[in-house]
Amino acid sequence: MQEFLLILKGDGMDGLAPEELQRLLANYKGWVQELGDQYLAGQRLQSSGALIRDQENILTDGPFLEPKEIIAGYFLIRALDLEAAIAIAQSSPHAPYYQIEVRPLVQPLMH
Amino acid sequence: MNDAADDIARLVDHLFRREAGKLVAILTRIFGSANIELAEDIVQDTLLAALNHWSVGTVPDNPAAWLTQVAKRKAFNELQRRKTAAAHRERQDASAATNSVSLDEIFLEREIPDSQLRMIFTCCHPALSLPSQIALTLKTLCGFGVSEVARALLSSESTINKRLYRAKQKIRRKEIPFSIPSGPMLEERLDAVCLTLYLLFNEGYTSSHRESVIRRELCIEAMRLTRLLLEHFEDYPRLFALIALMCFHAARFEARIDQNGAIVIFEDQNRDLWDQKLIAAGMRYLGQAARGGQLSEYHLEAGIAAEHCLAGSFAMTNWQSVYQQYELLYRLKPNPIIRLNMAIIRGQIDGAAAALPGLAELADDRELQSYFPLPVTQGIFAMKTHDFASAREFFRRAQTLTQSQRELDFLKIKLGECELALAAGQV
Repeated sequence: MQEFLLILKGDGMDGLAPEELQRLLANYKGWVQELGDQYLAGQRLQSSGALIRDQENILTDGPFLEPKEIIAGYFLIRALDLEAAIAIAQSSPHAPYYQIEVRPLVQPLMH
Repeated sequence: MNDAADDIARLVDHLFRREAGKLVAILTRIFGSANIELAEDIVQDTLLAALNHWSVGTVPDNPAAWLTQVAKRKAFNELQRRKTAAAHRERQDASAATNSVSLDEIFLEREIPDSQLRMIFTCCHPALSLPSQIALTLKTLCGFGVSEVARALLSSESTINKRLYRAKQKIRRKEIPFSIPSGPMLEERLDAVCLTLYLLFNEGYTSSHRESVIRRELCIEAMRLTRLLLEHFEDYPRLFALIALMCFHAARFEARIDQNGAIVIFEDQNRDLWDQKLIAAGMRYLGQAARGGQLSEYHLEAGIAAEHCLAGSFAMTNWQSVYQQYELLYRLKPNPIIRLNMAIIRGQIDGAAAALPGLAELADDRELQSYFPLPVTQGIFAMKTHDFASAREFFRRAQTLTQSQRELDFLKIKLGECELALAAGQV
């Protein structure tokens, strides 16, 4: 088992209707439940914040990037290998709305 | 762990949509009508937060209260942010109207209808075009997404987006206040609201479109908003007439479409499918509408619909009374469609043959040139007089006036009947 960070990019769900969001809830819950203890954490990020380009140059009036490049949130999951992690990302209810970057964490897990 | 399905079941249908409509109104009251968009963003953010929290954890016992709490906190943060920014600029932020009423107060349950009424009057402000009013009402008050508004109004998302953008811009530019009009203005503004809600209802009702579910929701929303107004403006009879009219029409919803999704014309509708509860409610409202001796177009239209709903069968309809009410209606708002209806009723009273010349005359009216129901009516009446060749021409003309699959299917059936009768006649 290995840990992976799924990085979600874009503003995909910002434009969804309330009704659609409510419908998504069932899929989302199902996905989390299916993952069980393979699901470690997840969080949505605010689109504002700060961007430190270099030590002198700090931008605070976000957003700083194109909507499709903005990191909307992340999931931390456990999976057997990259292939399995990709499959998990693809099966997430977010997949139709965001670009998802699947990145293995460097340290191997101690078990 | 809680079972996901049980958890989801705790959410009533359309909870997100309903709460979104409520919260946008509350938040707009806090941030001012120039900031509807900000209110919408905060609400969207609140719903996304719910989606995340409830998916990973459990759905709270009172989901609506959870949403309200989160939205309130976000509003508070936004106000703080603005205050800081304003202090920075060393001037007051004029857009936030929170000096007189506190945030806590605005979020109170009893204050919610007040916010919604303000939103109704803002969305239905006469400075906005009618299509904009309807789109904005659906988006802000009813919690529809842009894609849903587009589908419901048979339009494209980009058209709706532009319409909404222009409407919000106008509200900002004209500084349309987020308030309930009072004094002599009230009556005029209520009239405008009635018209918008009437059109919203019609938009859903007159559809024979495949998107029938979402179209039907337009009717439900129009009725919900009309009821909300009723509770606050009891001295305004035409609101009661309007809701009565909506009840009578909504009562016939099921009967208008058969099991295969095909149109059933009024004459052939199964009256057992009419919703008697809604008809009874309509009669009650119509009774209340009679107070004050006011006679609006809604009174007359409701009166006509009531005649239809009360008749035991199509043949038993009190056509004289219907005709008289149409005459009065025509005097209030003369338009060729009412004349078409009057010609149809003449046909019921004096026979189809007697009505055809009147219909032919209407066909010359410029406004009815591309009005689909006219040739359909002519075709049906021609069939009744066994003039199937003419009927066929009328139905063929109707074919050129619609794109609705249901309407085209209906015409196909009627054309088939004509062909069959003509073939039988030749043998």
